[in-house]
Amino acid sequence: MTDAVSTATRPGWPATSDMVRRLPEYLMIWVPLLLSAAHLISFSIWTIWISFTPSTLVPVTGWVGLRNYNSVLASRNWQIAFDNLLLFGIAFVLLSLITGLVLAILLDQRIRGENVLRTIFLYPLAVSFVVTGTVWSWLLNPGIGIEKLVHDLGWSSFHFDWLVNRDMAIWTIVIAAIWQSSGFAMALFLAGLRSVDTDIIRAAQIDGAGPIRTYWRVILPTLWPITITVVVVQLQFAISAFDLVRALTNGGPGIATQLPALVVYDLMFQRSQLGRGAAAAVLMLLILLAVLLPYAAWRYVQRRQAAHA
Amino acid sequence: MPITTTRRRLLAGSAAALALPAFARAQGAVKPRLTAISQWSAGSDGAAITALGKKFEEKGGIWQHSPVPGFTTEMMNKLRAQIIAGDPPACSQLKGPEIAAWSKIAPTVDLDAVVAAAGYEKVVAPDLAKLHKPGGKWIALPLQIYSTNMLFLSKRAMDKAKADKPPVTWADFNDLAEKMKTAGVTFPVANGGTRADDGQKFEASLAGISPTAYRAAAMNLDKKALEGPEIKAAFAQMRKITNWMDPNVGAQPYAINLKRFVDGDMGMLIMGGWAQGVLRNAGFKLDDFVIAPGPSDNGKPVFLLNADAFIFWQRKEPDLQAGQMLMAQLVMDPAIQTMYSQITGSIPVRTDVDLSGEGWSDGQRRTAAALKDAVASNQAVLSLAHNMAQENGLTAAMIDVFTEYAKNKTITPDQAVTRLAEAVEGSR
Repeated sequence: MTDAVSTATRPGWPATSDMVRRLPEYLMIWVPLLLSAAHLISFSIWTIWISFTPSTLVPVTGWVGLRNYNSVLASRNWQIAFDNLLLFGIAFVLLSLITGLVLAILLDQRIRGENVLRTIFLYPLAVSFVVTGTVWSWLLNPGIGIEKLVHDLGWSSFHFDWLVNRDMAIWTIVIAAIWQSSGFAMALFLAGLRSVDTDIIRAAQIDGAGPIRTYWRVILPTLWPITITVVVVQLQFAISAFDLVRALTNGGPGIATQLPALVVYDLMFQRSQLGRGAAAAVLMLLILLAVLLPYAAWRYVQRRQAAHA
Repeated sequence: MPITTTRRRLLAGSAAALALPAFARAQGAVKPRLTAISQWSAGSDGAAITALGKKFEEKGGIWQHSPVPGFTTEMMNKLRAQIIAGDPPACSQLKGPEIAAWSKIAPTVDLDAVVAAAGYEKVVAPDLAKLHKPGGKWIALPLQIYSTNMLFLSKRAMDKAKADKPPVTWADFNDLAEKMKTAGVTFPVANGGTRADDGQKFEASLAGISPTAYRAAAMNLDKKALEGPEIKAAFAQMRKITNWMDPNVGAQPYAINLKRFVDGDMGMLIMGGWAQGVLRNAGFKLDDFVIAPGPSDNGKPVFLLNADAFIFWQRKEPDLQAGQMLMAQLVMDPAIQTMYSQITGSIPVRTDVDLSGEGWSDGQRRTAAALKDAVASNQAVLSLAHNMAQENGLTAAMIDVFTEYAKNKTITPDQAVTRLAEAVEGSR
């Protein structure tokens, strides 16, 4: 890729029209973009169509109206999955935002070994969700993990059985997800903090603002755009969360930690109910749109305002 | 002109060349070939199907088996992809009511002639035979049988409780569990917590309480039976079982508890006959544990049947067709069934195989005897938890209820009965 770009822009080439010279760049961008867009759109349309058919083992034609949707919406699995998504989505996004911001502010104090710490905090992001889930499933297992460690250290009344406790199990997913992705929020926030004009900070200091006041009144308000980006990225992860949950609890104990993506997979590939699985997938798409459309609208308004200013 | 002649000659020549092998095939000279997919890749299952492949090759065939490791559903995803692509395997693993469901989406091979020639129908349990001839014609062949409700008792736990014989009824089972608890066995029941595990606890309870109610509710989905008193009693029995289990088991498989089971820290395991193979593979000895039929309140054994089978998909290639016939003959062969079951720990499908000889364990002999008794008293029923009684979708919806009930002890048996009936209604 770099080769193509560099040959295209290498100086001393015979003068050709701009279009031809930049052809590799256009090809590089437009071909993959069109291919993935076609892929995405055609499969989305196909899934939407399947969700209205009586397909079970294999896709078939036919029309059943909203029957698949009604059946998915009425099932306990979906209801539990939807409640869990609300809880997990809100808790995970808020907590990873706060953790990331606190880490970023602490790292922003020009401390020694910042590079090492930054790498450590970012490192979980490089680990696959399946690995995260598996490791945490061992750590959180009362029989072999943290609870056993504390017992062995002598505190025998210590109790930490969230993984096998159906009311608390969803929080173990929140914990593992935060461990994995608060580094991402931290990196974005840190970049935001570093880009704040030092003159403004100095001006605040000259005016007599302490460090907390400087952060609260001067620096943090400039981080709004980054915060929204982090929220949207984390939310779309929360909505499509699959591998982490599958490795950590697999929807259990019982069906207490079901999430929409697990329900879709389960219906399509474990229960051979393609029509219902497709309906659940379309419902997931609608939830995603409910997050992404307001974000797109917000970006549009921002851009309009910037253009006017 | 000369060019055309040559071309014509060439065409004629190649047509003859193409026709020649076809002629040879008609003479039976074609080398039988079989493309097969199954989930059996490792352990005793992998060893057994590899041994079957060797026999196939000894008979002059070409064996092309592609295992898809994981659950049966993983194998089904590959099968689905191949069928949609118009290229099904000559033969694939499939079992229970899935045989009827899948046979509707792609043409299968009519095996009636080869089954009749082998006189096979007489030696297969009637309920089992029915599953393999959904349209009245044989399209699939059962390979081996397991019972999903065998009771494994830890010798050391029995010694602690001073018990000398396995329990017969659920009341005996509950007594023994209490005795074990007071004698210091930490957890009298040693099950795992997977979905199938939780399903097995329910099906073993219900079938042991009333095989008639089991047949009506789990197999025929009779609405009245599904809300009957036996279902409630089964949920109550299942609650007792879950109370005797290690609460930390989570969703882990039963196998992680086997050492504690043999050590006498756990007492009883309700599991399929395959656990015998797993126990022995783990290095435990046959006298570390006792195998008995699962509890049955009327005293006669109840057999929850689970049978693996092969279904044969229609192919045009003569070598694949010849391979299918050879495979069918092998699967029905008593010597092959003996070889297969001795590797996996199951029992043969054929009821006329003698298990008294070398190579069979007491557990297998007891399982075969239980099947014979159960068939005689009409107490051989199809396993729900292992996809023999219903298709995947319905089974999964019912197991949702069992697994939630096993993990959530605030659900009462009455609530569970309602939820089960709702789950069945919702996925019909």
